[in-house]
Amino acid sequence: MLILDSPPPLPSPDLPKLSAVHQFSIRLCLFVALFGLLIAPSGSFARDEAKAVSPADRTFFENKIRPVLVKHCYECHSADSEEVGGKLLLDTRDGLRTGGESGSAVVAGKPAASRIIQALRFDGIEMPPEKPLPEAVVNDFVEWVQRGAPDPRSPVATKTSAPPTAKNATGDTPTPPLWSLQSRTNPPAPEVRIPDWPRDPLDRFVLARIEEAGLVPTHDADARTLIRRLHFDLLGMPPSMEAVEEFVAAHQRDGAKAVETLVDTLLARPQFGERWGRHWLDVARYGESNGNDGLGRNPTFPHAWRYRDYVIDAFNNDVPYDRFLSEQIAGDLLPSESPAERDRHLIATGFLAMASKPAKAMNTSFEMDVVADQIDVIGTGIMGISVACARCHDHKFDPIPTRDYYALAGIFTSTQTMWGISANEKLTAPTTDLHVLEAAPKVLPPDGFVETVLVLESNTGIPKAIPKPKWPVGTPLAIGVRDLAKPADCKINIKGDAQKLGEAVPRGFVTACEAAESTRLKIDPKQSGRLQLAEWLTQPDHPLTARVMVNRIWLHLFGQGIVGTPDDFGVYGERPTHPELLDHLANRFINDGWSIKRLIRSIVLSRAYLLSSDAADAVIKADPENLLVARHNRRRLDAESLRDSMLTVSGQLNLEPADGSIIRHRDILVNLAGNLHQPSNHRSVYLCYLRSSLPPELAAFDVPDFTTVTGQRDVSTIPGQALHLFNNPFVIDQATHFAHSITNDAADNEIRIRLAFRRALNRDPMQNELDQATELVESTAAELKSDEVAWISLCQALLITNEFRYVD
Amino acid sequence: MNYSRRAMLQSTSCGFGGLALNVLCGEQVASASPDGLETRASTLAARAKRVIFLCMSGGPAHMDTFDYKPQTGKKKHPGSVFRFRQHGDSGLGISELLPETAKHADELCVINGMHADTGIHAQSFLQLHTGDRLRKRPSLGSWISYGLGTENQNLPGFISLNTSKSSIYSSAFLPSIYNGTPIGVNGENMSLATISNVGSNHLSLSAKRRQLDFVQTMNRDHLKQRPTDEKLESVIQSMELGFRMQSVAPDLLDISKETKATLDNYRVGQQKESTGTCKVSDFGRQCLLARRFAEAGVRFIEVSHGSWDQHKNHRRDLKANCEVTDAPIAALLGDLKQRGLLDDTLVIWGGEFGRPGLTPEDGKDETGHNSNGFTFWMAGGGVKRGHVHGKTDHTGARAVEGKVHFRDLHATILHLMGLPPNDLKYWHAGREHRLTGPEGGKVVHGLFA
Repeated sequence: MLILDSPPPLPSPDLPKLSAVHQFSIRLCLFVALFGLLIAPSGSFARDEAKAVSPADRTFFENKIRPVLVKHCYECHSADSEEVGGKLLLDTRDGLRTGGESGSAVVAGKPAASRIIQALRFDGIEMPPEKPLPEAVVNDFVEWVQRGAPDPRSPVATKTSAPPTAKNATGDTPTPPLWSLQSRTNPPAPEVRIPDWPRDPLDRFVLARIEEAGLVPTHDADARTLIRRLHFDLLGMPPSMEAVEEFVAAHQRDGAKAVETLVDTLLARPQFGERWGRHWLDVARYGESNGNDGLGRNPTFPHAWRYRDYVIDAFNNDVPYDRFLSEQIAGDLLPSESPAERDRHLIATGFLAMASKPAKAMNTSFEMDVVADQIDVIGTGIMGISVACARCHDHKFDPIPTRDYYALAGIFTSTQTMWGISANEKLTAPTTDLHVLEAAPKVLPPDGFVETVLVLESNTGIPKAIPKPKWPVGTPLAIGVRDLAKPADCKINIKGDAQKLGEAVPRGFVTACEAAESTRLKIDPKQSGRLQLAEWLTQPDHPLTARVMVNRIWLHLFGQGIVGTPDDFGVYGERPTHPELLDHLANRFINDGWSIKRLIRSIVLSRAYLLSSDAADAVIKADPENLLVARHNRRRLDAESLRDSMLTVSGQLNLEPADGSIIRHRDILVNLAGNLHQPSNHRSVYLCYLRSSLPPELAAFDVPDFTTVTGQRDVSTIPGQALHLFNNPFVIDQATHFAHSITNDAADNEIRIRLAFRRALNRDPMQNELDQATELVESTAAELKSDEVAWISLCQALLITNEFRYVD
Repeated sequence: MNYSRRAMLQSTSCGFGGLALNVLCGEQVASASPDGLETRASTLAARAKRVIFLCMSGGPAHMDTFDYKPQTGKKKHPGSVFRFRQHGDSGLGISELLPETAKHADELCVINGMHADTGIHAQSFLQLHTGDRLRKRPSLGSWISYGLGTENQNLPGFISLNTSKSSIYSSAFLPSIYNGTPIGVNGENMSLATISNVGSNHLSLSAKRRQLDFVQTMNRDHLKQRPTDEKLESVIQSMELGFRMQSVAPDLLDISKETKATLDNYRVGQQKESTGTCKVSDFGRQCLLARRFAEAGVRFIEVSHGSWDQHKNHRRDLKANCEVTDAPIAALLGDLKQRGLLDDTLVIWGGEFGRPGLTPEDGKDETGHNSNGFTFWMAGGGVKRGHVHGKTDHTGARAVEGKVHFRDLHATILHLMGLPPNDLKYWHAGREHRLTGPEGGKVVHGLFA
């Protein structure tokens, strides 16, 4: 471990570096060859200022200060203002420093003495007048003044000083660019000082940042750690002891080649799709029931599981991500070559039919609420931008005007969403048609089931009449969407009120991220426009789609994203820790045909991924949140992986995919049905993900509620989890099976204990562990007069240790 | 336990208590029990020992509950659309929707000048709980348990009933032992909500203890090889607390031994169907559990009810929410008072923001969000009785006098608990953090009796 006290001098330390965050200036810039690559701003930028402002300060100003000035101050304090407030101009460097009627706005280095800070703090003067800015923004200004108020802008006033960028609400006033809406750059892999460290170009981006901070990456993880990490990351399951030993030997013999072989084997296993499909199902807010509709009613989605299987298959078959999205958004409009493919396309559109709907009875805008959910899953799920707020008003933070919302809404109001009969509960949702599948087999319900299990009239308690099923019993059906016969543009709902309509907005996309190619995408007036929406989202120059997805992939492999807020790439989301790396990966992703497997393969074979999760104190102190990726993040097993691991070790895991779902024939209200869950030995992804009634084997470990997009699950530590581990029937069951397997396989206590350690922890026990385990078994057997229970106690103990539940 | 707290503190880079705890508790740290829940004396004179936070999620309409806005002048303007009456000796104005709560008017300290930073639910809700709108930060209950420990070593210091996202009761970077323990999740059937998996009979308690000792020995060895990982250390503590909870929690959750009169007061078992999202019986049970936890020494108890986000059908849905919550809250106040607990229990009522008022007779029945002016109330725990603090303008749109921001509310609560609001800090990721954020909060002394 080597920690440098201070970074050694770089060849030309003064030169600004090319990075994504400077991108807007690049548009205005000349490239001048001078000791390498120097970016000298031209146009309205003064060259001397550009040199005087360091790259870090410029980044800070452009990301934190300028956008706020433009948004909140320029209206009254710029050359474009109709009347300049207090004769103070904030759109130029000199204006800010000279100040207005009340004197200089900024005293470099002295926040307390700076009028602008006083105003932002509402201390004497109150600016902006309508509302104080968020604390974080004020703190940014304080930091900026402390830095000496470095300002790369033009010293003199010019009209419209903000750079020309994405259009805002009205389409004519420029707003500053949001980093994520700028086109991707094609950054060259940076030079590094340890040339033999990188294995993949992505490593150079990682290492360069580490070196910049005067640190060095920690050592590589050992082979045992690595195979366990790869198994969980790629399959969500632990390796067997035999697989570990085989890999350790191969790694000793072949080094990196052995890792490659292992990775290729794992990527080809069907458990890969179950693991990564589950990640996507979180994003897709996949649930097998509606969730509380606001009246306490929670109807099942008996056909939703088909979408789950579709997603798992798509990941296993490495369906290109652009294709994957198109199928989910517009599968019904895509050509298909066989009935089976047609089924697949229809099932994919279930993505848009998963809304957790508020009760129709409560609501005058039920249809628009369904549309809102669809817009949200496209916005936050695919683009990492919340469009939802624009339903009622121009987005306050992100450049999403209300018109954009209704341009998108028109696409979905021209679409019929099909969820079925909602337990025949009209107060919850009106009955809709469903997709009827052609190639899928007919499955009859088992005895004792009817297609619609009828419950009581919620108000009167009288049993309900059985509605006549529209299709013969057992017909394969799917939830999803299809175009309405007469597509139409949507009228603006004034302040989100479906009763108060404004003008109709032509169907379209999000104007703030219009890429060069968008103009050729014309929505066919005879269609909803979903096909073009899919095309627009997946065009290679869309600024968000690829970035958001590669960040999701990175997050699942490293435990944290390059952008810390995977579902929010907006103004108030976090900024990327490695903007160039993000673009580099997004470019590769697209150039590699949007192949998710290939991207995962590249990342897990990189040097960065190989790092140990241990590091010297100094590294941890210097970067406690591991933003530099100088080490790996130790991670707790998520709910599904923990359950699957227990099943693996107990020998009970059934690796066959589950056939459908336990509710596939049950169109009922979950809230009245009581507990619908049944024990299962299939992988966790096949459990029944009922909203507001989560599988009890998973519920303790931060499973989301599946009503909205969840890019990253919480990781909490609460005593309820300990109680689950001590007392949950599933855990006790697995401990029992585990105990029976080792007592059957060996007679000798020491051998049994060794077996237990090898199966649960993939290692032999140390002598002291052997002693303690023997002591536990013997005294428990003596107290409870049962050898069986004593072995169960030991086996349960191993399944609940931190060593079992965490991955290094 | 065969490890000392001191050894544990030395075993990690900054010890689970961190810097602030050392500052706060001085020499107590080295001698106290090993898991951080021991009772710690507050550094200031405490007026309250525990908090019950009645969290009305969704943004309750302040002008139709506690902030009366009659029509003034000739032109109709937004204001209250339900009738108000003055109650008690104090003459506090309370809406007709809350007749039972109104009987306790003389206990309430109404704060009418609340304001927050944003009208976005999730962000404001997070800010109300943690002081931060965006990032995962320790919740108010976690800060208080961190500062004061709990009075009952067998229970968590912070319990959240009918909660929502875990970020609301998270201890974030504070040691996980201060994380809230949820009972029931909003949307699930609250009549059955309990602490899951609180018992099993496959092993005797002594065999379970022996088993856990083995697990913890392995966990500590595992931690020894990964000495800088505070999360792993937190899990060890959390396992111990979980173990102890098995002995007391089942009885505490069992309300069947309460008298019929008490159950009736809280409306537990009342079958009345309600149009709201929660049955009165369920909310009553939550309030009753809150009293039982308070009595048992839990430091911070949150009782949630929602949603008060009635955009459409304002009148009908607000009425439904009030019907469900009114009697149980009144019962809680009465019960605490009768048992002599109200003096040192701070009861707080409020949500993430308020709502703009409706203009009477214009036919509109729809409201939105208003973070510029809304209402909280407090009772017990050393606050003034029958008092109104601050005000909003004549339309209720913005706080104009006695303004109280969430960070001021937080500062005030910490102060009442005897904790120094702006000095209760924790070192994390290279800097000191506090509930009241970089700006700090102002203690609202005007609320104190």
